[in-house]
Amino acid sequence: MIKLSHGSGGVETAEIIEKLFLKRLPESLKKVAGGLGLDFPDDAAAIPMGDGRYLVVTIDAYTVNPPFFPGGDIGVLAASGSINDVLMLGGRPVAMLDSIIAEEGLPYETLDRVVKSFLSVLETEGVALIGGDFKVMPKGQLDKIVITTVGIGVAERVIVDRPRHGDKIVVSDFVGDHGAVILMLQMGDVDKPEQLKLKSDVKPLTKLMVPLVEKYGEYIHAARDPTRGGLAMVLNDWAKAGGGVIVVEEESLPVRPEVASYAGMLGIDPLYLASEGVAVLAIDPSVAEEVVKFVRGLGFQNARIVGEFREAKQHRGYVLLKTLAGGLRILEPPRGDIVPRIC
Amino acid sequence: MPKAYLIHIIGIVQGVGFRPYVKILADQLGLSGYVKNLGGGEVEIYVEGERSREFLDSLLNGRPKAIYIEDIRVIEVAPRGVRGFTIEKSSQEVETVSMIPPDLAICDECLREVLEGDERRRRYPFNSCSFCGPRFSIIKKLPYDRENTSWTAFPLCDKCTREYNDPKVGGIRRFYYQGISCKNDGPQVKLLDSTGEPIDVGDPISEASRLINEGYIVAVKGVGGFHIFALASDDDVVAKLRKRKKRPTQPFAIMALDLETAGRLAVVNKTAAELLTSPQRPIVLLFKREDSPASPLVSPGLDKEGIFLPYTALQYLLLSEIRDKFAIATSGNIHGEPMCTDWRCVAKLGVADYILDHTLEIVHRVDDSVVRFTAGRPTLLRRGRGYAPVWIKTPLRLGRAAVAFGADLQTAGGVGIGDKAILTQYIGDLDSFKALEDLDRELRWLVQTYRLREFVLVCDLNQTYNSHRLCREWAEEFNAEIYMVQHHHAHALATAADVGVAEPFVAVAIDGVGLGEDGAAWGGEVLYVDGARYERVRHLAYVPMPGGDLAALRPARMALAYLFKYFGEDWDLVERLKLAERLPGGLSEAQIVAREVKKSRLYTSSVGRFLDAVAAALGVAWERTYEGEPAIRLEATAAGGRLIELEAEDQVELFGQLIELYLKGADVKDLAYTAQYKLGQILGKWACETAERKGVRHIVVGGGAAVNDYIIAGLESVCGRAALPSKTPPGDGGIALGQLYYLAHLGV
Ligand SMILES: [Fe+3]
Ligand SMILES: [Mg+2]
Ligand SMILES: [Zn+2]
Ligand SMILES: [Zn+2]
Repeated sequence: MIKLSHGSGGVETAEIIEKLFLKRLPESLKKVAGGLGLDFPDDAAAIPMGDGRYLVVTIDAYTVNPPFFPGGDIGVLAASGSINDVLMLGGRPVAMLDSIIAEEGLPYETLDRVVKSFLSVLETEGVALIGGDFKVMPKGQLDKIVITTVGIGVAERVIVDRPRHGDKIVVSDFVGDHGAVILMLQMGDVDKPEQLKLKSDVKPLTKLMVPLVEKYGEYIHAARDPTRGGLAMVLNDWAKAGGGVIVVEEESLPVRPEVASYAGMLGIDPLYLASEGVAVLAIDPSVAEEVVKFVRGLGFQNARIVGEFREAKQHRGYVLLKTLAGGLRILEPPRGDIVPRIC
Repeated sequence: MPKAYLIHIIGIVQGVGFRPYVKILADQLGLSGYVKNLGGGEVEIYVEGERSREFLDSLLNGRPKAIYIEDIRVIEVAPRGVRGFTIEKSSQEVETVSMIPPDLAICDECLREVLEGDERRRRYPFNSCSFCGPRFSIIKKLPYDRENTSWTAFPLCDKCTREYNDPKVGGIRRFYYQGISCKNDGPQVKLLDSTGEPIDVGDPISEASRLINEGYIVAVKGVGGFHIFALASDDDVVAKLRKRKKRPTQPFAIMALDLETAGRLAVVNKTAAELLTSPQRPIVLLFKREDSPASPLVSPGLDKEGIFLPYTALQYLLLSEIRDKFAIATSGNIHGEPMCTDWRCVAKLGVADYILDHTLEIVHRVDDSVVRFTAGRPTLLRRGRGYAPVWIKTPLRLGRAAVAFGADLQTAGGVGIGDKAILTQYIGDLDSFKALEDLDRELRWLVQTYRLREFVLVCDLNQTYNSHRLCREWAEEFNAEIYMVQHHHAHALATAADVGVAEPFVAVAIDGVGLGEDGAAWGGEVLYVDGARYERVRHLAYVPMPGGDLAALRPARMALAYLFKYFGEDWDLVERLKLAERLPGGLSEAQIVAREVKKSRLYTSSVGRFLDAVAAALGVAWERTYEGEPAIRLEATAAGGRLIELEAEDQVELFGQLIELYLKGADVKDLAYTAQYKLGQILGKWACETAERKGVRHIVVGGGAAVNDYIIAGLESVCGRAALPSKTPPGDGGIALGQLYYLAHLGV
């Protein structure tokens, strides 16, 4: 039986995808020859264009409850999400397709507002909407609205997420804001986000990634936006993909105190909360400091180095959090189920 | 008429001078015969001569305490008329397993030499002999020969060489003793400042005592790691230590110079005295004396003090010059991290003002063992120094060798070969990567030492356990098969293996949590176990566990869950019980909890969470700064309490009635007592009913909550005596034994 946790984006999702798709497909059909596809877990796929460049393609369905939240709405999210996925593979976003499914009875104004925000993101980012689909489902068959978007871009060089020994892990901003806001709304503390002046970080990262890739592309060994599963998910994926260990300094992690305290009340580590406008990068150590300065210069004042990737012979794939006290805590990959461990 | 005996002994530990002891004893009595190693810890002795009877007597009753004998069989035989007594070479190359010697506390003879012996050994901090001293902590590989241990760095002086080679010079204690040394050639003690810079002093040990007397905190290298020493009688010093260790309330152990000093701190009965002075020399939890000279900050809110006696000459020398004759001796580690085994690690802790270091390298970290009394019986809370890695003989044999990964908190792993389960020393909590590495390293070491091949792996069902993850890593590396055991099934089997039950039995498995087959957090289970299969006959009622692990960290969450389950969402009650104030997030967190309870994603039948809920609701404890804190404090609160008669079908009803009585002003002591005793009775009733229905005779108890005095007393008031483990901890430190025993039942 399919459980909610299968769609959590964590360990359970990886397991079901493996079973349903990856095991069944022959290697040759997991990608277009010379490109990137299902064979490697990353933000988007790449197809070689023959001139040395790549066509970057990504698809994502967005459902969020509630559809409007401080700092944005599902329209902004659907546009930004796919734009960011194209960017994180090293692409420059050029076009988008969308598919909207609305629930019968949804107020026209709601749909109007969502589409307006969706389009306004495309406009500011200069991304063309080249196709789409619109459907309505009978009441009760889905929750208000689902938007699926396909993002398309072009890349000179594809950033395949494979960190190398010594790479510094750079985070562009505070993490977990989006996830914390959505959780607050879902838990029913409606007044909380305003009270805490907390809003979702949802935004396209074009202004960050395009200049960064242009200038430092060859030094970026991995790039990801920590959406579902948060920073913990990205780092665990990378530790595994690079066949090493990532050590992160707890002290250096950018988490807003209000996010930390709210997450604490729910028993959630903020490192598992989604961000929708943050980039995580694995940068060659020779330029890491420089890159941080450059990123800050682009307006991302909170950018910083949070840790390091190390090759390892044993215990590959572990993400270790160096605590303030000097311990090394294992940061586990996110899961959808709550499984108790503490005796 | 001369007599002759053939003696078959099982369970001889290597490296405690057993064979030389037998030979010298026989020679002294003018007997002939032989002693032969049969392998697998089994030895055969043949003696003949007039005084054979005396030989037998000495062997049975007068042998050094270090020589541990699991089982002995003696038959009188006809004399064969042999001449002289020989240590015979084993007939065929003994390939079978031998027992790795554990670390042994300094013996009386060695201590006498240190206090009043000749120049070479007087005040010699490392004095030891065939019957005492470090073993496992300094051994790099088997066999236990000097060059395979840390002693190899210290070439023998002429005098030691002579003692080693000639029993007439060295006597039974030094002849062939692998760790032989003296002041001329042994390890050196050094005093360092907090950063590790050496300080030049005449006698570093005396100086360290002086510094401790002045209120300084001094790290002292012991056998398996560092202790932090500090005056235990001075509130300011203890408070300073708590602050530096970031350990607000977790009790510290006290090392007392001798039994007399221990007796001033706590009540020491005969069994306790035997434990305290045993070669294992564990920390023993004993009832505090009201007029104890120790600061109340040493173990705040508890009725027991953890006390142990020195087990090295160095510790004796140090304590004898400490003005109180006792001091805090807590492990030198970062909270939740493994104990330090070198000075660099200690310097990084930033806890100690000075470091008393020495040059005998620690190969295996070995923590102090901890023993408490449960319903009058000694129970291991932590199995480390002195006990590990002595094997445990299981009632059934394994076909293939196996490696067990235990659980995740306060855990140990183990390997199994035939009918021997060899558990690692206490490893600790595996959310620490260093602890996980230790588990990995110690298991690899056992695999290598015992030359395991083609082994299978066994671990807990819970995939989020780091031990489970490590098990999967091994599976890939060694291409080995994995078996998984449900946590409480393993607890049940661990006790059965420990006490020697091979037939079907009923188990009461009670602890914090273990993942159940249904995804819930189990922990209050009555199981019918038929080897590799089990039936979950009854369990405590399911209660929401709001926030998952957070409910364990914040006991008031569990109190709310129980409260709402019994009384409904009654905010007036929440206020009267001050439960919101007992959550870090206050009322808004309580509201979140209420919502989580309504659409709970996780349910629990855990005894630990029930005790947490009671502790928080009665205002006994609502923080958990160390494992089991609320339950431990609730147990302490119950001391001197009496049973309030009430009817309760399950623990939820019990909780509700306790709260009603509490609000009417009942004594917290009695409520705490009743909560635990009655819970034991509820579980006991289910257990006996099951045993009767299934027609089995054995009822065993396992799991971390099985050390609770009142639960066990309540259970046994209904059921009669139930079996508790005595060689392994009933908690997760014994899980690996259950996992191995599962495989034995499975016929793997
Ligand atoms: Fe357990
Ligand atoms: Mg990427
Ligand atoms: Zn001795
Ligand atoms: Zn010597």
